[in-house]
Amino acid sequence: MTVTDRAMKLLKGETIDRIPLFPFILGFCAKNAGYPIATIYQDASKSFELQTFTLEQYSFDWGPLYGYASYGTWEFGGEIKMPEYNYEQAPFHTRFPVNVEEDVDQLQLPDPAKAGVLPIAMEFSKLQASNQRPISIICGGNFSIAGNICPVETLCRWMLKKPELVHRIMKMATDHIVDVVRYWCEAFGAAQVIPQMWEPLAANIIISPKQFERFVLPYLVESSKKILAMGVQHILYHICGDQNKNLPMWTQVPTGNPGLCSFGIDIDLSVAIEYLGENNVIIGNIDPIALLSETPDTIYNLCKTAIEKGKSAPRGFMLSSGCEVPPEAPPYNVYIMQKAIKDSMASG
Amino acid sequence: MSSRMEAEEIFKGLSEAVIAYDEDKSVEFAKAALENDVDPTDAILKGLAHGMEKVGELFDKQEYFVPEMLACADALNAAVEILKPHLKIRSEGPQVKVVIGTVEGDIHEIGKNLVRIMFDAAGWEVYDLGGNVKLERFLEEQQKTGADVVALSALMTTSMAAIPEIIKMIKSAEPRVTVMVGGAPLSWELARKYGADGYSPNCGTAVNDTLEAIRRVREGHGSWER
Repeated sequence: MTVTDRAMKLLKGETIDRIPLFPFILGFCAKNAGYPIATIYQDASKSFELQTFTLEQYSFDWGPLYGYASYGTWEFGGEIKMPEYNYEQAPFHTRFPVNVEEDVDQLQLPDPAKAGVLPIAMEFSKLQASNQRPISIICGGNFSIAGNICPVETLCRWMLKKPELVHRIMKMATDHIVDVVRYWCEAFGAAQVIPQMWEPLAANIIISPKQFERFVLPYLVESSKKILAMGVQHILYHICGDQNKNLPMWTQVPTGNPGLCSFGIDIDLSVAIEYLGENNVIIGNIDPIALLSETPDTIYNLCKTAIEKGKSAPRGFMLSSGCEVPPEAPPYNVYIMQKAIKDSMASG
Repeated sequence: MSSRMEAEEIFKGLSEAVIAYDEDKSVEFAKAALENDVDPTDAILKGLAHGMEKVGELFDKQEYFVPEMLACADALNAAVEILKPHLKIRSEGPQVKVVIGTVEGDIHEIGKNLVRIMFDAAGWEVYDLGGNVKLERFLEEQQKTGADVVALSALMTTSMAAIPEIIKMIKSAEPRVTVMVGGAPLSWELARKYGADGYSPNCGTAVNDTLEAIRRVREGHGSWER
């Protein structure tokens, strides 16, 4: 069985020998091989190689992946900075494309062949293709891109004071997602592409379920429908943070057959399965802070609980950290996830 | 608003305008306070700050979210701008000086800004260092301003690792300074492990959590329980 066979069989609804381990692990892979974190984001070839080492070492069943949460800033004309110092985890924005109302008029749809980080992402995807790995492009979610085009606080103020500006930025982000996925589909074939959309900014620690319904949901539905109409079979949404009050609305977002939905610790896996398990493989949700600072026993128990809950997911389950594995996490804690899976299979 | 208004009516109007994030109304009532010889400090504390306290409670209960919080703060600030030139220095309530910032490696400022809004609304003197603040800047600013509190925010697990370093730096130079921490990856347990004097899970409780931590530090309690 090749590295990703297990996960691909799961998507096809075939029986597999054990629960797959899904990687949400980027900066850790660089440190694990003795490289600076920035290597993961700056150098497609090295990033692929370093991730491959770690994925093999810990028996992950997916990846490597390329992407980061600040996606959208650079592509729409702003600036980002690569992680450089000890306490930096991923690229972050240093200048937003939109700061004031007038900037919205200047926004233009980026060229997916040339804009920002996309040439590096394409080089990375070519390596995914030549190594028979799932071809992913991480280019969303819609509201998180909007929050990388324009500071989230400004977006939040505009939701109440100038909602039409939020809609214009959301439309731009949505059109961009569709453009990028189309470009990837033309390069690799739609059936091979599994787009990933990370949507941390739509969490209910920031916006209300009503704001989600009005400003986010219609755009998620629009881009998802267009992506699936291209022939893409699966979309992965990382429903990051506390989105419990948004969950009933997430059921309206088409994700493919099956789709994939990953969750952080704020959403109980049983609740996730209840809302989204019927149409999606459920992925999650080991606490990254626990991976960083708890004992192996604690991690093991968290994994056992997650596996137990995940077993009832009708379209399948993959164990994963609830968000990116902290680059400084003790390696043994990362290993424990795979051990918990193997032990759970042994014990039935 | 030409007719004579009672102070209580003005306080209520200011408070309600903040809660309803109605900037026009908060400005209107601030002007009414001046026209009716209401002490501007009272207008801020009994009107605007009272309203913002309620806003904090609504946020805590997930009835308000970040957009509403920010809009309420805008309504408060618009009224404060009207009242500020007329303020007479008066010491009432706990006078707290706070240095606040998001730590090095982290540019996420929303949570920190919401907490700052609550500190401002409580009438505290706030020195906001912004985001991605170098470790040593917190101590420098505390020593420059004589702040009672240093409040540290982090959203990332990598940047969170800067917090114990900063606390060590501050506590070895200024042991009487209260250090508060907050941010998504933090918890009571981690805050205590890092040597912080207090932790606030969200902006709604930040003022009270900080006052509680200040009290503990002043009373010389080395450890704190939750």
